[in-house]
Amino acid sequence: MERWQPVSVLSNIRRGEVAGVRIGGHEVVLWREDAQAATLHAWEDRCPHRGMRLSFGFVRDDALGCLYHGWQFGGAARCRLIPAHPRVRVPASINVRAYTVREHAGLAWVSMEGAEDFPHQQAGWPEHAQPVRTVHVHASVGQVRHAVGIAPDGGMAWHGPVGLAVHEPVAGQAMLHVVRVADGPSALGLSHWAERLRDAVEGGAQMAPVMAELAAGIAA
Amino acid sequence: MTTGLTLYDWTPDVRCYAVRLGLSLMGVAYDTRAADMDLPTFQRPAGLRPGERPPVLVAGNVRITRPGTIMQFAARQPAVARAWLDPAHEWAILDWLDFGTVALDMLAAARDLAFGATLPVLPPMGALVAALRRMEDHMSARAMAGHDWFAAPAASIADVLPFVVFALSADLEVERDTCPALRRWAHRMRGLPGFVVMPGVPDYA
Repeated sequence: MERWQPVSVLSNIRRGEVAGVRIGGHEVVLWREDAQAATLHAWEDRCPHRGMRLSFGFVRDDALGCLYHGWQFGGAARCRLIPAHPRVRVPASINVRAYTVREHAGLAWVSMEGAEDFPHQQAGWPEHAQPVRTVHVHASVGQVRHAVGIAPDGGMAWHGPVGLAVHEPVAGQAMLHVVRVADGPSALGLSHWAERLRDAVEGGAQMAPVMAELAAGIAA
Repeated sequence: MTTGLTLYDWTPDVRCYAVRLGLSLMGVAYDTRAADMDLPTFQRPAGLRPGERPPVLVAGNVRITRPGTIMQFAARQPAVARAWLDPAHEWAILDWLDFGTVALDMLAAARDLAFGATLPVLPPMGALVAALRRMEDHMSARAMAGHDWFAAPAASIADVLPFVVFALSADLEVERDTCPALRRWAHRMRGLPGFVVMPGVPDYA
């Protein structure tokens, strides 16, 4: 089965923005078009020209431009302009490796295997989850998943109005993604809770008291 | 034609960059005396006193060597917009300015260790990573409260030094994806009039 990785809360990748993320040590660039449709893309974070990270680039006219020499890649991941040779019709073979990406439950999900089915759609998670925050944790994904109660084959754990997901940027580190339903705890309260959770996991503290705060309801 | 302000400046030094960036953002003009600290003492500008390292800002008989103090000096010039040291948020601005000064010293020391070696080495990063994490937590909370900047409704001198710390920590293998709130704030910094770069700080992104 293809793995869908939750890589970012959607509030970190708004219209016209570019963000580099890592998935198991692989560098991936997330970027969102700057026009009306504002489609989200996830590609290999590497310009096919000179290998520059595309996440250092910029979005112009629904294309991602490389910082190094300005090569522009349109939504189909094909190079559409080489500024040093503006009259050249760019060969179709010049393109960036594209991954599949879905927006669901306040999160961006990426399949590096290019999966088209998205099983989490049927998971019954709250329809209109709002992003809170992505927090970096210096602990293994296994530790964090265990701490917040995500089943080995589950994409998220929901604790009442609060949704939690985890992915591994690189071995030994984790990114914890926090979302909530609109009438749940305040974003600020949850953000501070996520910091306490991070500090507890990293410090090897008992997780039960931190998780109990969620059940008791978090104040702002 | 002289500005009355002289900056002894060493281009690749991160403290000097912080000063150039702050002065440029505030629209303060100055004369530059380039001081290459890799050269022998006798090849450095005569005005630099023994033991002094750039940045040094000289204005008449005022002589300032600390980036945080230079930021305050510039922000208090009559021609500079009050927002850079907004009286309504002065204590928050000064608090983060001091935080930024210490973090900038940590960045400078870590970069000197990393780049001063024959082979690139990664120095102990604990204190710098802790400072970046505090900045990330702070800017996450600020964003949720609807604020774009570190300490005031507009950009202030509190934003300048933390920007340099975040931007150049990339040289020390601090990955951008660990600090999403700082990435979004740094992007706003780049859009400010007068923003300038140094090697290691890309023009975009």
